[in-house]
Amino acid sequence: MTRAGSPGPWFAAPVAIFMLLCFAGPILIVTWFSLMPGRTFELTTAFTLENYVAAISDGYARPMMWSLLGAAITTIVTALLAWPSAIILHRYAGRWASLVSALIALPIFISESVRLFGMSVFMMPRGGILAGSLNAAFGIEIGSILNTWNAALVGMIYIHLPFMLFPLLLGVSLIPADRIEAARDLGANRWQVMREVELPLAAPGLMIGALLTFVLCLGANAEAAILGGRAVTVITAAIEQRFNYAQDWPMGAALTVGVIAITAAIVLPVLSRLDLNRLTKR
Amino acid sequence: MRQGRHLGALRTLWIAAILAFVYIPIVSVVLASLANTRYMRFPHRVWTLEAYGDALSSFTTWQLHSISLSIALSVVVLSTILGTLGAVAFARYNWRGRTWFQRFMVLPIFFPQPVLGLALLLTFTAIGIQPSWKTAALAHLVWILPIVTLVISVRFFGYDVAQEEAAYDLGATHVQVVREVTLPQIWPGIFSGVLFGFLLSWSNLPLSVFTSGPDTPLPVWLFSRTATNYSPLVPSVAVIGTVVSALIVVGAGLLLWAGRRLR
Repeated sequence: MTRAGSPGPWFAAPVAIFMLLCFAGPILIVTWFSLMPGRTFELTTAFTLENYVAAISDGYARPMMWSLLGAAITTIVTALLAWPSAIILHRYAGRWASLVSALIALPIFISESVRLFGMSVFMMPRGGILAGSLNAAFGIEIGSILNTWNAALVGMIYIHLPFMLFPLLLGVSLIPADRIEAARDLGANRWQVMREVELPLAAPGLMIGALLTFVLCLGANAEAAILGGRAVTVITAAIEQRFNYAQDWPMGAALTVGVIAITAAIVLPVLSRLDLNRLTKR
Repeated sequence: MRQGRHLGALRTLWIAAILAFVYIPIVSVVLASLANTRYMRFPHRVWTLEAYGDALSSFTTWQLHSISLSIALSVVVLSTILGTLGAVAFARYNWRGRTWFQRFMVLPIFFPQPVLGLALLLTFTAIGIQPSWKTAALAHLVWILPIVTLVISVRFFGYDVAQEEAAYDLGATHVQVVREVTLPQIWPGIFSGVLFGFLLSWSNLPLSVFTSGPDTPLPVWLFSRTATNYSPLVPSVAVIGTVVSALIVVGAGLLLWAGRRLR
C-alpha cells in the first residue's frame, strides 16, 4: 500500500545523500580513474582501456586468483564448520544455546588485529604459545606453521566463522521440526533428511552466510599480511602496492574496479531476490 | 540408548572445539602480554605485569586511545542520528521506492572493506583532502551507518503505528508524540545502534588502515607492530585497548540503568 505524500522519502534523504556521496561517489571516481592513461593524477575525458589490458598482461590475474581461491576455500570450510554447529545450537543445546551463541559472537567486537595477532603468537615457531607448550610439556619440536598460505587460510576461516554461523542459525531456525519427523517416518535416512529437507529450507540463511563470507574474504588482506607473511600476494595487497609505492593510480583503480565488478556480479542477483522486510522482522 | 549418549558427547565435543578455536587466539594475546622479554619465549621464565606498566606510562598508548575514541565517538553520534532517520524510512513508512532504498542501504555491508577503504583513499587524495582521523571516521560511517540503520529498523518492525494515531486522536502534538510514544519504544534499538557503532568503529582495521593517514588508531598500530617490531608492549596494548572498549560499553550500560532508576 503505497500512499502518496508519505514522509518516507524525507526521512530517507539524509542517509541516501550521504551514501551517494561517500559510497557511490568513490566507486564512480575509482571507475573514472581506471579509464585514465597510466600514472596520471587527474581526471580527464581521454578515456582508455589500457589499464585493464595491462592488468591482465602484467600478471595481476594471479593475485586475483589467490583472493578468489581463498574466498572460496574459506566459504566452504566455514560452512562445513558452521552447519553442524548451527544444528546443535538450535536443536540440542537447549538453555545453553544463547550463552554459547553469545560467546561465539563476542569476538566480533574484538579487533581483527588483536585476534590475528593472537593467532600469530599461537602459531609462532619455537617460542610461540603452541610450539613452546608442546616443547615444555612433551618435548616435541614442531616446525614453523606461521608465514604460509595455510596459516593465512586458517586466519580467514577464524575471522569469518561468525559471519557464516549467524545467518546459518537463522536459516536452521526456519526448518519446522515436524518436517524432519515426517521425512524420518517416511523412511528417509540422516543424509536424505539433510539433503532433501534441511538444506533447501535453510537455504536463505546459507545464501546470506556464503555471500557475506565470500565477499568479505575477497578483499581480506590482514590475514595474508600477519599470518601468511606475504607468502602469496592477495589482490588488496596488489592494489595498495599500485596506489602507494608505484604511484600508479589508474592501474590500482582498474584492479579495484575488477574486485568491485566481481562483488557486484555475486551480490546483486542474490540481493534482488532477498526480501529484507521478512528477514529483519523474523 | 547407548548410541544417543555417544552422539550427545560428540555434539558437546564439537561445540567445545569451536569455542576453543574462537578463544585460543584471544587467550594467546593475554598469555603473551605476561612476559618481559624482548622476544616471545613461551612458557615465560618470569610471569610479570611489567609490560602493562610500561604500556600505561607510554605516551603512545594514550595517543592511540584518544584517536580511536575521537573516531568512535564521531561515528556513534552521526550514525545514531542518521541511522534513526534512515530506520524510519526503512521500516516505519511504506513509500514508493522503499525497496530500492533498502537494497541500496545494505549494499555497503556486502562490500569488501579494504577495497572500500582504498576507493575512499583515492577519492580523498584526488579531491585534495588530507587523510586524518576525520576521514577515517567518514570511512567507518559508510560501513557502520547501514548496520546501525538495520539494527534500529528491527525495532521499528515490531512497532505498532496505531499507538501514534491514538495519541494524535487524544490531541497530542507532533513533538509530544515523538517524545512520549515513538522514542520510548524504539529506544532499545537506538541503544543497540550506539553499541554496535562504537564497538565496530573501535575495532575496525580494514577501513582505518587505508584512510587514517598520519593519525594511528589502535588496531592500525597493532597491525603494523605485529608485522614488524614485536615487543611485549604490543600484546599488553592489545589487551588494554580491548578492556577499555568493554569498560566504556559497561559504563554506558550502567549510566543508562541508573538514569532509568532515577526517573
